Amino acid sequence: MASGEFTEEEQGRYDRQIRLWGIEAQQRMRNATILVVRLRGTATETIKNIVLAGIGKLILVDADDVKEEDLGAGFFFRDDDVGKKRVDAAKARIENLNPLVTVETVPNFNVLNNQNFESTVNGVDLVCITEWDRDDLVRLNIICRRSRKPFYSGGTYGLLGYIFCDLLDHNYISPDRSSPKDVPKSIQMKVSYPSLQDALRHRWSLLSKRQTKELNPASVFAILALWRFQSIQKRLPIGAQDVGELQQIADALVSEADVNKQVITTVPHSLIESVTMTAVHEFSPVCAIVGGLLAQDILKTLAAREPPIANFLTFDGNTGGASVCKLSMS
Amino acid sequence: MPTTTTVPGRTKHAKGILGDELHKKLGETKVLVVGAGGIGCELIKTLVLSGFINITLLDLDTIDLSNLNRQFLFRTTHLKKPKSLIAASVASTFNPLVHITPIQDNITDSDKYHVEWFRTFDLVLNALDNLEARKYVGRMCVAGGVGMVESGTAGYLGQVQPIVGGVTECFECVEKPKGGKTYPVCTIRSTPSLPIHSVVWSKSYLMGQLFGVDEDAGTELDEAEKQGENAEEIANLRKEAESFAQVRAAIRSKPTTTPAARMIFDKIFNTDIKRLLSMSDMWNHRAKPVPLDFDRIMQETEVGNGEKEKESVALKDQKKLTTKENLELFISSVSALSARLSPSSPSSSEEETKETVIEFDKDDPDTLDFVTATSNLRSLAYGIPQKSKWEVKEMAGNIIPAIATTNAIIAGLIVLQGVHLVAAKLGRSSAGSSASSSSNALTSTTTTNSDSSSYTALRNIHIQLKPSVPLSAITTSRPNPACGICRDVYTVVRCDPLRATLRDVVQGVLGPTPISEFTIFASAPSAPSATRILADPDWDDNLDRTLGSVNVRCGMFVNVVHEEGVWETISVGIGGLPPGEGWYGGNGSGSGSGSGSGSGSGNGNGNAEGEGEGIPWLMLPDPLPRLVVKKEEEKKGGTNTPPPPPPPVERASLKRGLDEEDDDIELLDGDDNNGADAHPPATKRRKTISNPPPSTPPKHQHPTRPVFSSPSKKRKLEEDGLVLMESAEEVLDDDLLDGRENGGGEGDVIVID
Repeated sequence: MASGEFTEEEQGRYDRQIRLWGIEAQQRMRNATILVVRLRGTATETIKNIVLAGIGKLILVDADDVKEEDLGAGFFFRDDDVGKKRVDAAKARIENLNPLVTVETVPNFNVLNNQNFESTVNGVDLVCITEWDRDDLVRLNIICRRSRKPFYSGGTYGLLGYIFCDLLDHNYISPDRSSPKDVPKSIQMKVSYPSLQDALRHRWSLLSKRQTKELNPASVFAILALWRFQSIQKRLPIGAQDVGELQQIADALVSEADVNKQVITTVPHSLIESVTMTAVHEFSPVCAIVGGLLAQDILKTLAAREPPIANFLTFDGNTGGASVCKLSMS
Repeated sequence: MPTTTTVPGRTKHAKGILGDELHKKLGETKVLVVGAGGIGCELIKTLVLSGFINITLLDLDTIDLSNLNRQFLFRTTHLKKPKSLIAASVASTFNPLVHITPIQDNITDSDKYHVEWFRTFDLVLNALDNLEARKYVGRMCVAGGVGMVESGTAGYLGQVQPIVGGVTECFECVEKPKGGKTYPVCTIRSTPSLPIHSVVWSKSYLMGQLFGVDEDAGTELDEAEKQGENAEEIANLRKEAESFAQVRAAIRSKPTTTPAARMIFDKIFNTDIKRLLSMSDMWNHRAKPVPLDFDRIMQETEVGNGEKEKESVALKDQKKLTTKENLELFISSVSALSARLSPSSPSSSEEETKETVIEFDKDDPDTLDFVTATSNLRSLAYGIPQKSKWEVKEMAGNIIPAIATTNAIIAGLIVLQGVHLVAAKLGRSSAGSSASSSSNALTSTTTTNSDSSSYTALRNIHIQLKPSVPLSAITTSRPNPACGICRDVYTVVRCDPLRATLRDVVQGVLGPTPISEFTIFASAPSAPSATRILADPDWDDNLDRTLGSVNVRCGMFVNVVHEEGVWETISVGIGGLPPGEGWYGGNGSGSGSGSGSGSGSGNGNGNAEGEGEGIPWLMLPDPLPRLVVKKEEEKKGGTNTPPPPPPPVERASLKRGLDEEDDDIELLDGDDNNGADAHPPATKRRKTISNPPPSTPPKHQHPTRPVFSSPSKKRKLEEDGLVLMESAEEVLDDDLLDGRENGGGEGDVIVID
C-alpha cells in the first residue's frame, strides 16, 4: 500500500489508536508485512489484533487441516470447516476484520525449509512463529538473524503461555510519562537482543532473592522443561506417565541455571503435574491474553515506540500474572 | 431451549484443562455481561469459546466507525445498529451451543434491573465505560449476593477485579477518583493560560451562552463571590454575561442576519476583552490579552501551515489553522449552528424539526468546528498556543485512547477470574484435573456468610508499564470495614408498594427487634448517598403509610439504620411481586409486633388464597436477615450522643490492615471527590505501601452532608458534565486506571477559586 495520506475511512477507523501511538506509528504499521506461522489459538488472537490495528499485509502459513478441537479457541473456524485447510477456512474471516489489510495464505510448511525460509523472511518485516518446538525455533531464529528481521515466538501450554523475541539491535522511542502532558518528551533508546540459542544458556546467578521471586521462576522453568522434554521425546507430555520425567528435567534446568536456592530448588510438583496433563490443550482466555500481549509487542516493535518485551515473557493462568525475564541480556 | 449440536471434539481442550465437572458447571452458569463495547466484544468471544453457554448481554449503545479498530464483532455494514444485538448474533456463530440474550438498554434503570433481576444470574461480568454504571452494578451484585468481575481499560493499561460481597473488597470499598481535571472558574472565564482553558471555556461556557438554555448565568458567580473572589472581576463577568441576550437574539433571528457571527466576535473577542483589560490591577502579574480585530484578520495573507508540515505525516485534522482560517471556521460554524436552531417564536411547522438547544458533542462536526475556532481565537487573544481540530476533539470530548490488545487481555483475565468464581462455588480449585470432590455450594442470600477460603484463587490484576511484570496479580483485599456499600446487610422484600406499609416491610424484616430503635431512609440504587429520611425513633408518622405514598418504588432500597449504632445497617431492596398467583411469605408471620400484618390483612383481595397468615402482597425473606453487630472499633463513640439523623454509613475507623503481600504493589490513588457521594472515602490508599501509615486515621471530609444540599446551579453544572469543587486546593487526580474507555460521560471539573 502506498505511504500516502490517510483516507477518511482510515482516520475514522483508527482514531482511538492513533491518539495512543500517533500517526507515524500507524504509518509504520500500515507499511509492514508480517509472517505468522501456524494458526492455532495464540495465532488466531494475535492475527485478529494486528489486522484490526492496520498492518499492511499478513502472510499466514499453516499446512494442517482444521481439527474438531481447533474450534475450541479458533474463532476463525466453524463446524463445517473441519477437514479443510486451516488457512483456507480462515482467510475470508481474517480479511473481513479489516478490509484495508491484505491477507496471503500459504497452505504448506515448505517455506520453513532452510533455503526457502531465508527468501521468505527477506520479503517480510517481522516474523512470528507460534506453537513451535524449541529446536526448530532456534534454527528459524538463526535464519532471521542473518536477514536482520525481528523474530517473535509465542504459544500456550494449558494455562501457561510464553513469548520469546529477538529484535536484534532495536531502536525505539520511549515516551517519558513523567513529563507534563502538554510538553511530551521522548527518549531515544537502543537495545541489543541475543539469539534464542544464547538466551537458553542464561544463568540466574546475579539475581537477588527478591528479583528472582518477581520473575516467577516456577512458570519459566515449567516452560523450559516442556521445551527440553519435547526435544528429547519429539512430543509434548500427555499423561501421568510423563510427570516424573518432566519433573526431573525441570529440576535439572533450575540447577543448571543457578537459580537462587532460597527461592526455588525444584519446580512445585503440583505445577508439573497440571502442566503434564494440560500441555497439549489450549484455552481461549489464555490464548487471548498471550495473543494480546504478543500482538501488542509486535505493534510496538513495528512502531519503534515503547519498550518491547526483553526477552522472555511467561504467563501463568492460575494467577493471571505475567513476568518477563532477561535471558542472556542486560 | 433449542439444542443445537456441534462437533464433539470442540470442547476437548477446555475439558482437558478444566476437568469435566467444572466445564459442565460453566455451561450451567447464567452469566450477565454488562457492556458490548471494547471489552465486551472480546469478553463475549472468550466466554463462548471457554464453555459458558447461557449469556445475557446488555448494552445501550449503537456501533460507530471509531469502534471498528477494536470491537472486532462489528463491520462497516453494522454502523448505527445496536451493539448488543450484533455482538450476540456474531458471537453465536463461534459456538452453535450458546444462547446469548441481547438487551439494548441502560443498566441503571432500577425499575427493570433491580436486585431481584440481578439475582437471576450466577455471575456478572462488567465491561463498562463509565463510573455510574459500574457503581450501580457493583451495588446490585453486593445487594443480591452475586459474584462479579469488574474491569476497565485505558490505552495500554487495564485492570480486573473479582468481587464477592463480604469476602473481597467491593467496587466502592476504595473511593474512585472522578475523571477530568479541575479548573478554577476565573481561570476559565477571565485569565486562561493553557490551551485546555480555552477549550473548556468554549465548550462549557460559550456554547451554553449562545446555543444553550436561556438562563441566568449569575448563580455560579454568586458562589464565586461568596467565596470571596475579586468583587470587581465578578461584577465585570456579570456584565459580560448579561450582554449575551443581544447576540442570542441575533443568532435566532430569521433569516439569520449575516452579521450574527460578527456580533459575537466583536463581543467576545473584542469588547469583553477590553472590559477585562480596564481592570488594570488584574494584569500586574499577568500578560495582558489582546483584543482581536475582525477586519484586520480577514485581510490577513498569512500562508497556511500546510506547506511547512508537508514532510511530517499528518492527518487533515491534525494541521494547525491560520488565524484567518480559524475566523472563517468560526463564521461558517456559527452560521451552520444558527441554521439548526429554531427561532425564538416558531412560526411555521417546518421549524418543528429544528433544535432549541445545541450542546457540544465531539461527533457533531458543527459544534466541534465552533469549539475549535473559538478556542483558538481566544488562545490567540491570550497568547496561548493553538490546537488542531484533532487535538481539540480529544480535549473537549474527553476521548480516551483504546486498542484491541488491551481489551483482549483484560477480557481473557475476566474469564479466568470468572472461572475461579464458578469453581469456588463447586468448592475446588479451577486448574488441573485433580478435582477434590464435589460441591458445597455457597448460599447467596447474604453477603456475610461466605466461606472465604473458597476464594483464595481470586486475584486483582493490573496491566502495568513495569517491564519485568507486565501483568501484576495480587491477592484480593478484605472488605473495607467502613465501606458504605458492602458492609450493609442486604435483603429483599417483594411486595406491592401500594399496599405494603413501611411498618409491614421494616418490622417484618426486623422480626422481634422493635422498629422504634431504628431510623429509616429511602434511597435509589443509582444514588445511594441521596437518602431521604422516612422515619426515626421520634417520628413515626410514616410507618403506617404505604411505600407508594412515601414515594418508595420497586427497585429502591429502604435503609434501616440502628439509632445506637449497635447493628450494621440493613438495606432492604424493594422487589415487585412475582407475576401470577399471590404468594404467602413462608416467614410472613415473623413480624414480632402484630401491628405490621394487622394493618393490611383485612382487605386482601383476589390473590389472597392459600394458607398461613401472611399478607398476599408481601413476601418477606426466608430466613430473615441476621442483625450483624458492628465491629467494636467501628461503633460510634457511645450512647450518650445519638446523632440525629445519621447518614446511613458514617463509620469511624479508617484503619486498614496491610497485607504482607501488599509491599511493593502500586495502588490506585484514591481521592476524595468533593462529597458528590455522601459515603465518605474509607481509606486513602498510598502508592507503594511499605509501612503502616501513622495511626492517625484521616478525618471524614464531610461526615454529615445535608441530604438535600446541592444548590441548583451546582446541580445544573454537574448535569452539564461540570463538577464544582469546594475549594481550589482540592485537586482531582487524573487516573488512568479508572478504566473509562471513552470518557463521554465524564466532565471537566471547575473549581471556584
